[in-house]
Amino acid sequence: MVDLTQYLPILIFLVIALGLSGLFVFLPMGVSRLTGAHKPSKDKLAEYECGFPAFEDSRHQFDVRFYLVAILFIIFDLEAAFLFPWAVSLDLTGWAGWITMMVFLGELLIGFAYAWKKGALEWE
Amino acid sequence: MIHTIAFYIFAAMVIASGALVITARNPVHSVLWLILAFFNAAGLMVLVGAEFIAMLLVIVYVGAVAVLFLFVVMMLEIDFAEMRAGFVKYFPLGVLLALILVSEMILGIGAYSAGSMHLGTADGVGTPLMGESNIRSIGALLYGRYLFLFESAGLVLLVAMVGAIVLTHRERGTVRGHQNINKQVRRRPGDATVNTRPEVGKGIEL
Repeated sequence: MVDLTQYLPILIFLVIALGLSGLFVFLPMGVSRLTGAHKPSKDKLAEYECGFPAFEDSRHQFDVRFYLVAILFIIFDLEAAFLFPWAVSLDLTGWAGWITMMVFLGELLIGFAYAWKKGALEWE
Repeated sequence: MIHTIAFYIFAAMVIASGALVITARNPVHSVLWLILAFFNAAGLMVLVGAEFIAMLLVIVYVGAVAVLFLFVVMMLEIDFAEMRAGFVKYFPLGVLLALILVSEMILGIGAYSAGSMHLGTADGVGTPLMGESNIRSIGALLYGRYLFLFESAGLVLLVAMVGAIVLTHRERGTVRGHQNINKQVRRRPGDATVNTRPEVGKGIEL
């Protein structure tokens, strides 16, 4: 069973971080509400860039190649995640486990070679 | 005590951020709430003792899947006015889908509680090894008993990679020349420079 007391410092850290970030967000809001005049108008709330009105929507369409990079990242991320339990349990699984992982790495190496050969990793 | 408080905080945060995912107007905000839900789910996983799953949630879901969702959301051109205009048009279809899902859930839970669904017998092969850490138990099972399933997971990843490349990669003509480092390094000074002694009044031919 997992010893949860090991995670207590992380929990304390999380609580402190939440408290501090909440303080940094809400304290200035409260102070400015109490000390300054709060009269929002349409012109005050309009978005602008460097004094000019915004030319267009801030959300552009992305190039589809970002998606390809993200997919490749997920796949190699998963590969790395699979390596952790393999590495710590190698004495339990023995040669069968070692060969399994080598075949798995070989499969992904084929994919990597394919991606490289097709030029999917190039960004002009 | 702390365990219980942490559980209720994490569970409440998961449910609240999950509700905000589907009610947020802006899809980018939805993805950010989803990331918060993933973090809190990781906290819950730590509480039930599945440490490795918790770390996997943070590494894979927050690190990679959420980024992919953000890219997909940003790749779609979102016109909020148009989105709201389509609400009435797609409302019957949405209700139909919701009804199908609800009936599937009722059928599934009903079949399970009636006892006609077998989810395997508890023979103890999936229990964690005694006295071993979570990640070592997972490793011993995944690379021992379930090794062929693991290999097929690798094949699925390979297919996903090839599929993504085939679908999204477009050959671009070599507009700009590519640098050939081998060719550059192999070049000697003798190949590039020539010594000549032109006569007076005559030029040299290059």
